[in-house]
Amino acid sequence: MEVITGAGRNCVKLLRVIQPSLVLAGPETSVLTTQQFRERHTKHWNPKWKKLRREKFVKVDLPNFEEKNDEIPKEVLRSRMKERGVLPPRPWFERSFYISCTGGIFEPYVPPEGDGKKSFISSTGAKQKFEFLEKKSKSMLAVRKIRSYEEDFDTTQFATEAQDIYIKAHQLMAEKNKYAIREVISERAYPEMMHNIRDKTIHWKFLQSLEPPRVVHARCTDLITKENIFAQVTVRFHTQQILAIYDRFGRLMHGSETLPKDVLEYVVFEKHIANEYGVWRLHEKIIPDWMPAKQPAPITFRIEEEPEQPLEAIEAAKEEKVEQVEAGKGGEGSKEKLIAA
Amino acid sequence: MSGLAKQFSRLLAIRCIPNGVRQILPVQALHTTNVLDKNWNTANTGPRKWLQYNKVVHPPQEPHEEPRNAYVCHMKTNIKYSPDKMWYIASFVRGMTVDEAVKQLSFILRKGAKYAKETILEAQKIAVERHNVEFKSNLWIAESFVGKGRYFRGVRRHARGRTGEVEYKHCHYFVRLEEGQPPKDYYLPAPKTPQEQFDEWMEGMRKRKITHTL
Repeated sequence: MEVITGAGRNCVKLLRVIQPSLVLAGPETSVLTTQQFRERHTKHWNPKWKKLRREKFVKVDLPNFEEKNDEIPKEVLRSRMKERGVLPPRPWFERSFYISCTGGIFEPYVPPEGDGKKSFISSTGAKQKFEFLEKKSKSMLAVRKIRSYEEDFDTTQFATEAQDIYIKAHQLMAEKNKYAIREVISERAYPEMMHNIRDKTIHWKFLQSLEPPRVVHARCTDLITKENIFAQVTVRFHTQQILAIYDRFGRLMHGSETLPKDVLEYVVFEKHIANEYGVWRLHEKIIPDWMPAKQPAPITFRIEEEPEQPLEAIEAAKEEKVEQVEAGKGGEGSKEKLIAA
Repeated sequence: MSGLAKQFSRLLAIRCIPNGVRQILPVQALHTTNVLDKNWNTANTGPRKWLQYNKVVHPPQEPHEEPRNAYVCHMKTNIKYSPDKMWYIASFVRGMTVDEAVKQLSFILRKGAKYAKETILEAQKIAVERHNVEFKSNLWIAESFVGKGRYFRGVRRHARGRTGEVEYKHCHYFVRLEEGQPPKDYYLPAPKTPQEQFDEWMEGMRKRKITHTL
């Protein structure tokens, strides 16, 4: 700490320069680099009294409220715990995993380009239709598999059922009903749907289907054991909806209360068919690569520039990657390492 | 187990202790930790309500309504500074724009100014990042006040073997930023212009009642 001393008549004036605290890290720190403050300057000029002045007070060990738990160095933490006779917490090595839903889509459906715009009568439309039929064989197998567990499974009937699930999930999301929504969406979809509704009000309305919903894709896969089968069915929805998103203060952020929009979506539904009590739940939405860019938000905002990484760090990261790849080639033992990394 | 049996078993237990071994309390039963430390003192939670205002969701507005101003509440707890001294700084920045407050605070030679400035800048950042505030300069300090934090007692030596009590004070600093421009007069209405004064006098003169006249 820099100390600027200026001798007064019979006292020492002190102007201290505070270093920026660790609280604010980022571009703001440059503003806070120097903040001066004046100490009391009513002390006797002769330093021989300093000791006596100090001895007037009994030293109290004050806690430092400014320090943050995760910023305390390891050695300091260790010495403090020793002082208090506390054992360090048990390290948490267990990896939790959930087995009532899968973590993604397996063999995802690839939506044909320009879908929803081209009519079936046009040449490209007809071609797409043909290709669609071609790819169907694998889906047929999966549907047969689903039927072996769920006897009255019918793709046309399921499409309407899926639409009900779809509508219910979105309604519950708009209501922010975090308990009921768990019954219609899978645990994978839950954080995605619930994260962005915090502090917002969503008005969502389902108007009509422009085309009847249809099953376009079906797949089955097993996890851990052979009998533990999950079924995923992709349903194509071409619908009209109204969406208006308001921020915390009730100001419109996105969409409109009156303007209906045509929405084409490929929604994946999943069911744990090995489970007797399994239900069809909304799992994920497929967003094709050819989808046009999203409409930008109406407000202006600043794009945060990422700090440039020094060359050494990039090279180090590259080396690590190479090592990982090599380890992956090694065998099963090293695969675990990869997962851990 | 009946009371008598309980007593009997207790007697037995006492007999089991070998002679000469003194029962002392286990170390864990003694309060050996630093009682002042925040992390080991569950009673010390600090202010809880202020940040809850950030979670209030207002109902959507109609298109013709004037858009509601965004606001954000922020605080800094347990600053090692006296609340009495911090009060001057808190009331100083009230009703200023954020930019003005930050500028002014950097020239105040009091320790609390640093904390106030930090809090305001943090609040500004939060407002832009999380509360849909479009322009970070379009904010003003709607509320700025101080709360009492934790006080620690110490002892001070006086002459003739006397002692005094010292308080080591901590304070909380609370701030609420609101979107828009600050009001012209935050505290008091502005002094009247000569014309206004004249009009008021004229009005008073015309309204006066003269007794025993028509």
